[in-house]
Amino acid sequence: MRFLRARRIHLSRALSALLVLGLLALLLAGCETDTPQNTFDARGEVAARQRDLFYMAMWPAIAILILVCVVLVVALLRFRRRSPDELPKQVHGNTTLELTWTIAPALLLLVLAVPTVTAIHDLGRPPRADAFHVNVTGIQWAWQFEYADLLDDRGQPLTSLGELHVPTGREISLTIRASDVIHSFWVPKLAGKLDAIPGRDNVMWLKADEDGSFSGQCAEFCGRGHAGMKLTLIAQNQEDFQAWANEQRGGGG
Amino acid sequence: MATVAGPARGNAIGEALRQARKAADTEYGIWSWIATVDHKRIGIMYGVTAFFFFLAGGIEALVIRLQLATPNGSIVNADQYSRIFTMHGTTMVFLVVMPLSAAFFNLLVPLMIGARDVAFPRLNAFSFWTFLAGGIFLNASFFTGNIFEGRLGAPDAGWFGYATLTSRQFSPGHGVDFWAMGLQILGIASMASGFNFIVTILNMRAPGMTLLRMPLFVWMTLVTSFLIIFAMPVITVALFELMFDRLFNANFFNPAAGGTPLLWQHMFWLFGHPEVYILILPAMGIVSEVLPTFARKPLFGYPFVVLSGVAIGFMSWGVWVHHMYTTGLGTIANSAFGISTMLIGVPTGVKIFSWLGTLWGGSISLRAPLMFAAGFIAMFTIGGLSGITHSIVPSDYQQQDTYYVVAHLHYVLFGGAMFALFAGIYYWFPKFSGKLLNDALGQVHFWLMLIGFNLTFFPMHISGLLGMPRRIYTYSGDNGWDLWNLMSTVGAFTIALSILVFMINVAITARRGDRAGSDPWDGRTLEWSIPSPPPPYNFAEIPRVHALDDFWHRKYTEDAQGRPVPIPAGAALAPEPEHAEGGHGIHMPSPSYFPLIAAIGFPLIAVGLIYDYAILAVGAAVLLVGLYGWALEPATEE
Ligand SMILES: [Cu+2]
Ligand SMILES: [Cu+2]
Repeated sequence: MRFLRARRIHLSRALSALLVLGLLALLLAGCETDTPQNTFDARGEVAARQRDLFYMAMWPAIAILILVCVVLVVALLRFRRRSPDELPKQVHGNTTLELTWTIAPALLLLVLAVPTVTAIHDLGRPPRADAFHVNVTGIQWAWQFEYADLLDDRGQPLTSLGELHVPTGREISLTIRASDVIHSFWVPKLAGKLDAIPGRDNVMWLKADEDGSFSGQCAEFCGRGHAGMKLTLIAQNQEDFQAWANEQRGGGG
Repeated sequence: MATVAGPARGNAIGEALRQARKAADTEYGIWSWIATVDHKRIGIMYGVTAFFFFLAGGIEALVIRLQLATPNGSIVNADQYSRIFTMHGTTMVFLVVMPLSAAFFNLLVPLMIGARDVAFPRLNAFSFWTFLAGGIFLNASFFTGNIFEGRLGAPDAGWFGYATLTSRQFSPGHGVDFWAMGLQILGIASMASGFNFIVTILNMRAPGMTLLRMPLFVWMTLVTSFLIIFAMPVITVALFELMFDRLFNANFFNPAAGGTPLLWQHMFWLFGHPEVYILILPAMGIVSEVLPTFARKPLFGYPFVVLSGVAIGFMSWGVWVHHMYTTGLGTIANSAFGISTMLIGVPTGVKIFSWLGTLWGGSISLRAPLMFAAGFIAMFTIGGLSGITHSIVPSDYQQQDTYYVVAHLHYVLFGGAMFALFAGIYYWFPKFSGKLLNDALGQVHFWLMLIGFNLTFFPMHISGLLGMPRRIYTYSGDNGWDLWNLMSTVGAFTIALSILVFMINVAITARRGDRAGSDPWDGRTLEWSIPSPPPPYNFAEIPRVHALDDFWHRKYTEDAQGRPVPIPAGAALAPEPEHAEGGHGIHMPSPSYFPLIAAIGFPLIAVGLIYDYAILAVGAAVLLVGLYGWALEPATEE
């Protein structure tokens, strides 16, 4: 019996250790910046704002988790039954305590609500009039891009498939739609996702702070080809971007 | 079977029916189970059936995890994968967690409120058979493809089946038809049991059991039942429209004809979020019973816990858009639903703190039921906190539809609901079998499951934050997801091992388990005051209730310092004698075959709608015979 109890205490400690290790792993993962779709590794102002909001919620969450787990494990160890006829004092409740743990979390949440609502409005504002505009269409199973601001010799907008070219540093306005089923447009390092819904135009904006190619993929299950519905967003400086556009015009005839 | 002849007009038919009922009115034999209207037997059948579906859904999960164990997995192809994950989700929600909760409602509510059965025993049997019919029908969809060539026929649009992927154009075959109609059948079963338990709880409580003397589990059953009867119609309408789109070329969700795909999402989640609480409130009820018993201390702040449960019930109707932040509903909608989602965390937090308050200062027996309940608290807290991060809307734009969400929902539904349900199984198993499950094996089960669970689902937070979308059947090795996925797969098999330990435990206990006696845990509620297993009539004499935790107060009084003092052994302690006069003079409802017959009608109607209207006519006839015979049959013999 004593052996069993000792083993249980041991395992409870193991549980706490496991939790702490798990959380540490999460943090390490957050620092690991070189994977292509890491949401922590923001390279544009939208994604950076979203990541900062996540941290703002994550740290209090981890603190509360540790608090709950410590109280739980301490209670289980300290108040474990020592003799079969042990009878504890019958405490039915404590109104002050109960009101406290109703009101305190509500206040904490209100504190979180302010930056959340602010960010919803900042990020959800319509794109600026001078933004570079692209129409994005999700098709089973590819992304098609139509560059409203880049016309070919016949006055038709340039298009591309799977690769989205944008000028670095400039605000990009995306009008997102779908031609068949629902998809979701997502380039994690630049911005969170927005769904592509048939019969509906959704609008978002994003900005790439640096040159580079950023990978993204469809986030809403859209049938057999969902896993392969990827895209690459290529942000280029003005010179390279113009060169690319000219090449497209030439190639497109 | 004479019952097929339907309403008994002629004496011969009437007599034959009476004989058939009599033949089933025994304690043994298959027919006594098939025709039973006893809430305890129905509860056991719910539990056993749901456990089989749990194994099916679990095997589907293992296939998913094998496929994703390494990059470029090749266990299944994309088509098979989408069918398997759709069935995994649908099964676990509708065929496992809901019916396992229903099993506990059935087993416990009448015993806890001091009643002899539910308000409508035959309706109760009808709920069970309809659930079983719906479950079999749903799984039968696998065979509508050519299973030997590896073409599974199961639905392939995910468990929330977003339009327009569910249209006939994008999901040919009959999988989605089976899904839409199977869920409607299951909805009928849930509605019937929802009404049944509301009426039972409101009308059949023993004298003296006021609402605020009801055990917390009964409270949570009441709230859940109300959620069921209001939520089920919403999804039924959605499924009905989907069925019309698919079978009769209607255009509810077809944008080409002016329909709106988003309409589906609103209806589905308007059902779907209350559904989350339909799944978790019973689990909270179970934990709120287990903790006080094993800590020998009343639930801390009972009125607060009751009220927070009711508050959750109401608030669950105002948060559905948090599943739809990325659909482009606009800044106002997203702000409003972000705040409402934060607020629903408050009553949830109250519950968690109250459970900790219950344990604190108690005399805690670390037996398997308590371990699972404690595991529930920790795991559910993680799920609740990751839920709070979802309410930070712009941050959710990143996490939505990634493995982070998969992690979150499993912390709530597996780490939450399933841990609590196992706590309930270990706790009440002796009441209904008369035998105690082996505690050492129970501890092994618990630790394996806890470790396996965290190994499976904690890494999913990380793979999600590293940009892994859910529902992809394969991934390339350059995303940094490999390690996390491998961990998840190892964890999933650890969980499977823990379930195996549980099954061995049940098998061993069935052969030679310790006899439980009527009150093995020093229980607090009325079910522990009667023999294990309880006689068919439950209470030889309907108890009079004087307090919350009435049975505890029959065993202990409190001294001036609030310390319990055992009441000297005597009449107050003694459980009711086994078979008090054999239960003579107590009228129990007669067994009936008609609920089963009526239930068989539903899958026939559904098959008929899909394949051939002739079968529909047969199904409708069977349903009518069942309902008509049910209406005319006497509820109690003599
Ligand atoms: Cu997709
Ligand atoms: Cu929800």
